[in-house]
Amino acid sequence: MILTSLDELLLFSGATLLVALILGRGLAVGWMVTILYGGQLLVLIKMAALGYSDATIHASISFEIMGQSLSWRFDALSWFFALITVASALLSSWFSCGEWERSFKQQGGNVWLYHSAMALNVFTMLILLASGDLLSLFIGWELVSWAGFLLMAMAGGVATRAAMRYITYAMAGGMAVFGGIALVYVAAGSLQYEAILTAVDQMSTTQLWMLVVMFGGGFGVKMGLLPFHLWQAPAYAETPGPGSAFLGAISSRMGLFAILLVLVKLFGIVNIDSLKIPFTLIDARDLLAWIAVFTIILPTFTAMNQNDARHLLAWHGIGQGGYMLLGVVVADAMGGAGGLLHIFNHATYQAALFMAVTAVIHRTGTSDLNKLGGLVVRMPLSFMVLLVGIIGLAGLPPMNGFVSKWLVYRSLLNEGMPLLFLAAVIGTLGTILSVYKLIHNIFLGQLRIEHEQVKEAPWSMMVPMLILAAIIFITGMFPGIPLAWVASVQEVVGLPATDYTLGGVESVSGSLDMIWVIGVLFAGFGIGAVIFYSAGRSKRVHQLDNYAGGHFLSADVRYQYSDNFYAGLMHLIGGWYRSSFLWLEKSVTSLVDFLSLVMQGLYRRANAEFYLLSTALFVIAWVVI
Amino acid sequence: MSSINQIPVINAKRGNPLSKVFDELVRFCRSRSLFILHYCTGCGAIELPPAMTSRFDMERLGIQPMVSPRQADILLITGYVSIKTLKRVILTYEQMGSPKYVIGICSCTVNGGMYWQSYATAKKLDEYMPVDLYIAGCMPRPEAVIAGLQQLMDRIHSGEANSWEDYFRNYDYYLGNQQKLFGDHWQTPTDIITEAKHYNLMGEGTLGEHTRLLEQHQKPLEALDMRLGHNLKEPTK
Repeated sequence: MILTSLDELLLFSGATLLVALILGRGLAVGWMVTILYGGQLLVLIKMAALGYSDATIHASISFEIMGQSLSWRFDALSWFFALITVASALLSSWFSCGEWERSFKQQGGNVWLYHSAMALNVFTMLILLASGDLLSLFIGWELVSWAGFLLMAMAGGVATRAAMRYITYAMAGGMAVFGGIALVYVAAGSLQYEAILTAVDQMSTTQLWMLVVMFGGGFGVKMGLLPFHLWQAPAYAETPGPGSAFLGAISSRMGLFAILLVLVKLFGIVNIDSLKIPFTLIDARDLLAWIAVFTIILPTFTAMNQNDARHLLAWHGIGQGGYMLLGVVVADAMGGAGGLLHIFNHATYQAALFMAVTAVIHRTGTSDLNKLGGLVVRMPLSFMVLLVGIIGLAGLPPMNGFVSKWLVYRSLLNEGMPLLFLAAVIGTLGTILSVYKLIHNIFLGQLRIEHEQVKEAPWSMMVPMLILAAIIFITGMFPGIPLAWVASVQEVVGLPATDYTLGGVESVSGSLDMIWVIGVLFAGFGIGAVIFYSAGRSKRVHQLDNYAGGHFLSADVRYQYSDNFYAGLMHLIGGWYRSSFLWLEKSVTSLVDFLSLVMQGLYRRANAEFYLLSTALFVIAWVVI
Repeated sequence: MSSINQIPVINAKRGNPLSKVFDELVRFCRSRSLFILHYCTGCGAIELPPAMTSRFDMERLGIQPMVSPRQADILLITGYVSIKTLKRVILTYEQMGSPKYVIGICSCTVNGGMYWQSYATAKKLDEYMPVDLYIAGCMPRPEAVIAGLQQLMDRIHSGEANSWEDYFRNYDYYLGNQQKLFGDHWQTPTDIITEAKHYNLMGEGTLGEHTRLLEQHQKPLEALDMRLGHNLKEPTK
């Protein structure tokens, strides 16, 4: 039997899991696992032809269960997601090797569990990405959900509670997906993609509506779409350092993968567009777009109010998911490209940001934004990585986040959706404000006395961070590299493919060439540098040699303003933070509590006559009807 | 202060004509863009709002208020300077970047004015820092303030307004007067002697008995250098 390269990839991934499980308590397991992730990446690169064409590679294994065949295959869509998954696993695993692992062990962490959970996550994600029909998709979906739970819950305490919340949501979502699959089976008589594609045209509006709601809701839970977003930020933030970088980079994108596969590829945007909501002017597609936009705005402004760096980033992870869905739902060449490219871009800067924050935690022991400050003089490289990351996150040139957001904005304007555009811009405003809070409270301002002796993060952590920063910049300068993959993904899922160049996109309504943008930007920097360096000698001064109305400053007083950041803005918009979704979640929880109490009450009565009577009644009723 | 260095001597050096043009351009630009830090110490401050706002509008001359001394060009002392205030004024003056100009407004800065007999007021401002221009009066009207500022602009343009160099070259004299007033332990965060060396402004009067007194107890604030710290030793506990 000849192994296809997909077999090799899955075997490699399984082997990584086995190595982590068996040798996990030994020495240097982190490095071994990292090298194995590198091997997986090499196999993926071997399959790189997938990223530039609409070919498929099948796995050798397939099953036949109750007339349903289960198979696995890779195409451009799977390859694109798998590349992000494996690359972010490789870098976060690399980051965890060495010093981070040792200090994690000292604090009572379980390194074996950590590496096994990571390897399991990657393995299950690859299985999900390779699914060749709806049944294998569901199997992969559940595997990914539980693997994620393992990684989120391992820190114990708050993390376990957050993970329990996650798994409750994920199970509800899984059930919705299962119900959707059952409906598809009833309608199409098969779970093969080809059969569904032909069956969709015969489906009634009601059926399609049900499917869109069930799949959209089920997959949306994993993506953290409103109103199912509450679980995500605490669950990701409380995961141990590099784990949160990995989860933040790719984990919730699995939801988007499934949405792309089922809603966009199988059902088709055109069909979704025809689902009108009665008595309104909008249809299912507009509904999705507006959900995406609120998913951008609300979590982003929640992020602005966080006082923990990890929670701030995790909330942004939810918000940025909205841009991806928005771009995909707009579904023209530019919007689709923007949404898909944002998946790649978000993975790069989110991983870099989580790593930089983890490096700060590693050195100072806290991620509390009110207990840091001035670290730029002690951790300048981490500062640079965080700076590059937040420029990407805020969507400003010259980093890669700019390109994808520009494409999404452009498509919204081209397609005549000014209100969605305005809402997306409001989201970006919140992003810029909150990332400024992040970098200001950690790295700028006054260095605390207790951080005088802090050192830069060790090289084992620094190198993956620098690699990510380089990727963020390079793909910002040459977005054509990932856009090539994105274009073939667009073809595979049936969206119009974008006309890309190395520096951006070609379009009659206005092209983008990042090489020019960055060239002009750096020419500006160059002029500034010439002025600065030709202006004579400058002198650096101590932070306490500073002006406060002529006051003599001393180190025991804090002059950095970090608590209650944006007090002026909060004065204006503070009233809008109403925790409505928390209230909604609580009301659902207490309803379930109440029902379970009722059921318990019935069950605990242990009244034989009552049960007999009710069973008899049921039987009679069934027979009669 | 009247010192031999300040007597104007015309050096008929033949320089590069291009650099003369460049210097002229620099001085012109410098005199046309002045940021003032108005350290409002006394009653004279009340004359500044009309001078700044639309009636007299000193912004038409390119003069604007500025919030921090690092970006400011002119330090405006607008009235009597109590000893407590003087400490802050000196701190602020030392934090300003060169070239910097000081203007004393109101009679109090010239000779103590109506506070002549006060035990808590510094009488002559120019004993503690070099003053470029006094605008006398109790208080001078906005027209007078603006006329004074214009005179300063002319002096900057012609290159005469360089008394800030005097603070570096004769630091010992100023420090001595400051020590007389504030006591021997007087120290500001800015290290003037190091700065004088840094900018090549050491003069005969920079060092002296008063600076020796300062160096005995001075704890210099070293700037926090940016470092990776990989070769840093662990602090011994």
